[in-house]
Amino acid sequence: MAGGILVIAEHLDGKVAPSTLELIAAATSLRVERHGVRLVVFGHGVKELADHLAGYTVDVLVAEHPLLAEYTGDAYVQAVRGIVESTNPRLVLIAHTAQGYDLAPALAGAMDLPVLTNCLAIDLQEGRLVAARRILNEKVHVEVEVRSDRPIVVTMRPGATPPQGTGRGTMSVTEVPVSIDPAAVRVKFVRMERPEVADIDLSSADVIVSAGRGIQKKENLRLVEEFAKAIGGVVGASRPLTDLEWLPKTRQVGQSGKTVRPKLYVACGISGAMQHIAGMKDAGLILAINTDPTAPIFEVAHVGFVANVLELLPAVLKELRAG
Amino acid sequence: MENLEISSASPAPAVALNLVVCLKQVPNPDLQFQVAPDGKDIKREGLNYKVNGADEYALEEAVRLKEKHGGRVVVLTLGPKRTEPMLREALAKGADEAVRVAYDDPAAFDVGKNARILAAAIRTLPHDLVLTGVQSDDYAYSATGGLVAGLLGLPHASVVTRVAVHDGDLEVACELEGGLERVVALPRPALLTIQFGANTPRYAPLPAIMKAARQPIKEIGPAALGLPGWDAIPLPYAFGVVRLSPPVAKGHAELITGPIPEQAKKLAQLLREKGFVRR
Repeated sequence: MAGGILVIAEHLDGKVAPSTLELIAAATSLRVERHGVRLVVFGHGVKELADHLAGYTVDVLVAEHPLLAEYTGDAYVQAVRGIVESTNPRLVLIAHTAQGYDLAPALAGAMDLPVLTNCLAIDLQEGRLVAARRILNEKVHVEVEVRSDRPIVVTMRPGATPPQGTGRGTMSVTEVPVSIDPAAVRVKFVRMERPEVADIDLSSADVIVSAGRGIQKKENLRLVEEFAKAIGGVVGASRPLTDLEWLPKTRQVGQSGKTVRPKLYVACGISGAMQHIAGMKDAGLILAINTDPTAPIFEVAHVGFVANVLELLPAVLKELRAG
Repeated sequence: MENLEISSASPAPAVALNLVVCLKQVPNPDLQFQVAPDGKDIKREGLNYKVNGADEYALEEAVRLKEKHGGRVVVLTLGPKRTEPMLREALAKGADEAVRVAYDDPAAFDVGKNARILAAAIRTLPHDLVLTGVQSDDYAYSATGGLVAGLLGLPHASVVTRVAVHDGDLEVACELEGGLERVVALPRPALLTIQFGANTPRYAPLPAIMKAARQPIKEIGPAALGLPGWDAIPLPYAFGVVRLSPPVAKGHAELITGPIPEQAKKLAQLLREKGFVRR
């Protein structure tokens, strides 16, 4: 059974995380000498989900246990460990999501395995894994390599790989035994808290004007609001602003906030951290205003204005009124 | 130092906590970076360094837990001498003791090695709760906390936004995608990675800054951890940096530069052309 790539599926409320399909695509594009790619679905009552995933050109293993009904780091580390030990894969692929960065490093620490996280692309070459990453606020690209005779735990950044599509027919679904020592599951699930729906719903807006740290002061939000009003939009924000409570959490665009696809997205003074871009990159037209021409927001924007947003917006408002 | 001995000898409150906070010093991420000629690191001359953003929230959470439940906060870093001002700032903000693991690699790209050294250092410190930031602003691995937990066999929770301490255990809220939060309970000792915005970090008062300037910083070398040198730390792999390079953008905006009035005209024109201007 040794070799190959083990992909860990992620799911919540009976739905597969989109990142899981990206992992399958990343795994199948690698040159794997033996035994190919296997996707493992951990959970309780997830057989149906596993059958569905077998449609994505990958063999599926189902590992069911009552203690896996809700994710906890302790139970998952034990369960994944069992399968890694019995299958001894070359790579264990996990999404770089909140669940992934809870699980992957803890698994690697507990099993004394190498780990590389938040990778954009990976390549298995003669005896080594080469991974491409972005560092220093996305401003530097780095390739790193790991050589090991042990399984390497890798997390891939969501959105970095196009997702795997379904193929013709379905692949095998095999149930695999899981043993979990309940005494060693020290982390207990208590409850899930869902955001209260109040305020405006960003995800249904056609035009969003988002403010970032570049607006410098809370008072300057008025300027952004005025501009949004002039173009029929609503105001969103990057994470630092909702952390500062300048705007409610419901206005946050990004991985930990809302994912939006408006017709127009204007990023005002937002540098474009990965967590923000994940939430807005699919907007129809993206305009960005930032003083730093190397800011990563300009990579996803269609048109970029290299300017101080506090100077440009008043001038634009004047233009719009004059017109 | 005398004060500390007296307080530890006096009866402790019901849940006095030994808190260890891992701090990382990072180059200010708002800077521009250039790749060093050998392609193995960024050019580090003239960079200014600061405490990692998420770690500030981890420190604040620890100091608040100490204020509420009693206990001590030890801040721990891995890095060269330049990290000392960061440790002093943490002392001024309420940490009781600062420890620097004298691992002087200015780049320290290998998160697995860093975490193994940190874990070895934490083993030498009393710890009911270890706190780290969720992610570093420089390398963005989000792996140090989880690795340390795994290596030390501690239960852990990640992306934590709220911490409540009960008699026997902790209840914490972990942020997931899309605004969901998963609340979990876990026993102590434990490790938590703290999310940005979990609290409002305090400013250090001036007298505390003056006092911190005179406080000793404990230094841990490899010998203190039973190692002949840092390279003797056992690793199940070989790690290498292949090369650093400026990012190749997948796409790029058409960039408008020049005087503000001209940029404003272009932006207004674009908004009109695309039909976004309300009349």
